[in-house]
Amino acid sequence: MSVNKELKHEFDAAPWKGKTKRYDFIKEGVIALVFVMVLTIGLSVLMGSPDEKPLTFKGWAVSNSDNFYVTAVQELAGTSGTATYGAPYNKASDGLNIGPLWLQKWVGVTRPIDSVNDFVINPLSTQVLSSDIASALATWNAAADAQKQAWATAYDDAITKVEGKLSSVPAGAYGPVPALAKGLTDMAKAGALDAALLSQGGFFQTDNTKQILFFGDGAYLDDAGTAANLQGGTWGMMNETGRYPGQAWLWLYSFWYQIPPFNNEESKPIGANADAYIMALMGVLSLGLILIPVIPGVKSLPYKIPIHRGIWRQYYEAQGIKRRKK
Amino acid sequence: MTGWISDFMNHPATYLKSGWFQISVTNLVVIVLMLIIFALAVLIPFPKDHKESKK
Repeated sequence: MSVNKELKHEFDAAPWKGKTKRYDFIKEGVIALVFVMVLTIGLSVLMGSPDEKPLTFKGWAVSNSDNFYVTAVQELAGTSGTATYGAPYNKASDGLNIGPLWLQKWVGVTRPIDSVNDFVINPLSTQVLSSDIASALATWNAAADAQKQAWATAYDDAITKVEGKLSSVPAGAYGPVPALAKGLTDMAKAGALDAALLSQGGFFQTDNTKQILFFGDGAYLDDAGTAANLQGGTWGMMNETGRYPGQAWLWLYSFWYQIPPFNNEESKPIGANADAYIMALMGVLSLGLILIPVIPGVKSLPYKIPIHRGIWRQYYEAQGIKRRKK
Repeated sequence: MTGWISDFMNHPATYLKSGWFQISVTNLVVIVLMLIIFALAVLIPFPKDHKESKK
């Protein structure tokens, strides 16, 4: 240790000789806890909680049956958002990356979802079906995988060509796909798909992954998110449904999604992988927050912006301690 | 509870928008309240307690 460091250490280790005051931390903690508890319970009783109508497959199929039908076809053809998502649901794409770090791919398929069977075939199989739908299901189950893919892709392409206008789809070799999509749409309209997708075999059903993914593949959830100002590009992370306050502390996380290049999904590599880049950026910023006491310049900010002297001004005045001159 | 306040709260919010910046009135109110509390915490003097202070 140098002489200077020894002197500083001696000074720091010496008992405090200035003014002291009794202070009860436990008392202050208890007062703060009780105050916040009373405030929270009081506001909860007065204001209630967000009470949006639940989104259901029945609501989707009834309000926008064409969109539901087209989404069902996409699930069969493997072109939906879920079917092409990659990890953790399937291996259809490599997913998000930050340069050479293929984060999504490295996690692997931990929650396998087969959009064809999980979203369409298995739910239909649980129902008592009309003869034409039952026959379509039997045809599908008996066909080879390549044949199934050919039927579904042909029908999906035909719908895409006419921009989703189902009445304009020309006749073609679509096999049982139109009947299956119709069967699933009817099932959803009757309210049976909600129960079929939720059923996991246990007494309590808590895993809504499949429903949310299926919802996300169509326009229903997206439209509901837009209507409630919950989209990422409109500070949705900060918002809540209705007039309730949202997660205002997520403003910095949400901020990046509003500005280029993060807000442009077409922009590579950052915009196309915005979620990963923003997560990394927030990680670096959070690390910076933790390391404030050791970052040169930043650690000296209290000298330049002496808010603490304002808070403890009575002490500084009483002790006659002036601001340090640089 | 289904009082008039919770009915009021469950209606679509009003948003203020300027270019890429957008904020709900409720979030703005909460943020302004937080800033006011912070300013008060800085400005309001500590209660004096002459009896317990000592050199």
